[in-house]
Amino acid sequence: MNLQYTDTNQWSAILPEIILVLLALSLLLIDMFGGTRGKDLIGRVAVFGQLVLLGLGFTVFGDNLGILNQETFAGMLYHSEFGQVMRLFFLTSSILTSFLGAIFLRKHSLLGTEFYAILLLVTASLMLLAQSNHFVMLFVALETVTIGFYVLVSYNRDRSNCLEAGLKYLIMGGFSTAILLMGIVLIYGVASTPGLAGMAGEAMKFTDLQLFLGLNADNLIAKTGVLMVVAGIAFKIGSVPFQIWVPDVYQGAPTPVTAALAVGSKAGGFAVLIVLVTGPFKPMADLLVPVLSLMAIITILFGNIAALTQRNVKRLIGLSGVSHAGYLLIGVVAMFSIPSAQSAVVFYLITYLLASYAVFGVMAHLSAKGRDDIQELSDYQDMAKESPFLSGVLVLGLGSLAGIPPLAGFIGKLLLFYAAFQAGLYTLLGFAIVGVVISIYYYFGWIKEATFRFWKLPILDGEEPEAPKEWPEVSRLAKFTLGGLGLLTLLLGLYQGPLSSLIGG
Amino acid sequence: MTIGLNEFLVVSGLLFTIGFVGILVRRNTLIVFMCLEMMLNGVNLALVSFSRYNGTMDGNLLVFFIITVAAAEVAVGLAIIVALFRKRQTVYVQELNGLKN
Repeated sequence: MNLQYTDTNQWSAILPEIILVLLALSLLLIDMFGGTRGKDLIGRVAVFGQLVLLGLGFTVFGDNLGILNQETFAGMLYHSEFGQVMRLFFLTSSILTSFLGAIFLRKHSLLGTEFYAILLLVTASLMLLAQSNHFVMLFVALETVTIGFYVLVSYNRDRSNCLEAGLKYLIMGGFSTAILLMGIVLIYGVASTPGLAGMAGEAMKFTDLQLFLGLNADNLIAKTGVLMVVAGIAFKIGSVPFQIWVPDVYQGAPTPVTAALAVGSKAGGFAVLIVLVTGPFKPMADLLVPVLSLMAIITILFGNIAALTQRNVKRLIGLSGVSHAGYLLIGVVAMFSIPSAQSAVVFYLITYLLASYAVFGVMAHLSAKGRDDIQELSDYQDMAKESPFLSGVLVLGLGSLAGIPPLAGFIGKLLLFYAAFQAGLYTLLGFAIVGVVISIYYYFGWIKEATFRFWKLPILDGEEPEAPKEWPEVSRLAKFTLGGLGLLTLLLGLYQGPLSSLIGG
Repeated sequence: MTIGLNEFLVVSGLLFTIGFVGILVRRNTLIVFMCLEMMLNGVNLALVSFSRYNGTMDGNLLVFFIITVAAAEVAVGLAIIVALFRKRQTVYVQELNGLKN
C-alpha cells in the first residue's frame, strides 16, 4: 500500500454502487422526515430508483466508463466484462426482490423502510463482490452481503419461525465465514513467506497470488487454504458441505428474501467462485477439479433426493436450488479446461433468475397472512381453475427450472451440459442427467397439484361445507411483471440472440 | 527459548479448533456464538503473526476489518437471540425446531 496508489481511486468506476448506497440512505431520510405519505412512497422510490439505474446500466455504464479490463483502487477492484454483466444481474434480481417485497410487506402489514434500504446495500456489495480483485475486498463485500441477509432473513420478528431461520442462518454463516477466513490467512501466510519461489508482493491480491500459486501448486499449506476458501464459498452457493441450512432458512425467511437468497446470494457465491477459478486458483486445477467435481455430484444427488419428500413448497424450491448449484458447479469445473464454459454458467444463471422469480412471484401471492412459512403443496390445488394467470406463470417457471423444451431452462442446461461434454466430464454429465430425471418428478408433482382436478369427498347431509379458499387478487402491475417473466422464459428458450453478445459468445 | 512464528500459529490453531469443535458440540446458542468469536480471534492471531514475521502490512489491515465485521455480526446476532428468547423462552439448539417438513 503506497500513497501513490491514491491516483487509482477512480470513483466514477463504482458509480452504480455509490448511487445504490445513496438511494438506500435517502430511503431512510424519507422515512424520518417524510411523514406517513413518505412512508407509503418508499417502496415505489426504491423500485423506481433501481429501474432508472438499470436503464443507465444498459446505456451509460459498462464500456463507456472507460474502465473495462482495468484495475482501480490500488488493485482492489478489477472491472472485467463478467463483472459488468453480474452488476446488471444483481440489480435485476434486486428490483424483482423489491417488487415481491412490496407485495409481501403489504400483505403482512410490515414496515418496509429497512427492508428496502438493507436490500439496496446488499445489492451494492454484491456488485462489488463480483469485481473484487483482492482478498480484503472480497471478505468485506461478502460479509456486508451476509450480515445484510441475517437481518433480512429474520425480518418478520413477530414470527418465531422467522427468527429461528435467522439464527440458523447466522450460526452457519458465521461458521463458514471463519473457515473462509482461515483459508485466506493460510494462503496469505504462505504467499508472503520470504524465500519461497515467486513470493507475492501483495500476498492477498489475486494477480500476485496467481503467479505465486502457479509456482507453488504443491505446497500443502496453500492447498489447505484453497480448500478452506472453497468450503466457505460453498455456504453461499448452498452446496455440499454447507447445504444443510438451506431448507430451514428458506422456509422460515420471508418469501421475497427466500427469492433473494436463492438467486442473488447464490449468484454472488458463483461470481466469487468464477473470479477465483479464473484468477488466483487457476493453477490449482489438479486439486480443484476433483474436489469441485465431487462437490457437484453430492450436491446434485442430495438436492434432488431430499426434495422428493418435501410437502412445503419453500423447502422444496430450496432443495431444488441446491441441485441447481450442483449443475452450475459442473460448469465451473468445465471452465478449467474450456474458458468459454463461463458464458454457459452466466446464461444458466440468467434463465434461473427468470424462472425462479416467476415461481417466487406466485408464492408471494399465495402466502397466507401471518403464516408465510407454511406453504404446502396442497395449497395449490384447483389453482388452474381459480387463478389461471398465476398457474400459467407457475407452469412456465417450474417447467423452465425442470429444463423442459422449449423453455429457457432447457437451453441453459443444454449449453451447460454441452460445455461439460466438450471438457470431457462424462461422469459428471451422467450424474447431472440422473439428477434432472429425478427433478422432473417433484417439479411435475407441483404442477400436477396446481393444474389437475382433485376428487373431493362428497359433502354429506348435515355436514358443513368447507369455506372456499380465497384466491389472491393479482394487481395489473404484478400481472405485467410476472407475465413478462414467464414470457421472457419462453422467448429465451426460442431465441437467444440478444443475450449471446451480452454474455460473451 | 525464543517465541517464534510457529508458537503463535499453534495457539491460533488451538483457538480455531476449540471454536470449531464448540460450534459442533455445544447446545446453548450463546456459547455457540462465543465459539464463533473464538474462531475469528484465532484467525486474527494468525494474521497478525504472519504479518509481523513476514513483514507485510496486509494482514494487519485485514484484522481491523475482521474485528469490525465480528462486531456487526454480534450486534445482529444478539438481537436475533434476544427476540427469539422472548418468543420461545429458550436458547437451546435442540428446542429450536419449529421449522420442519
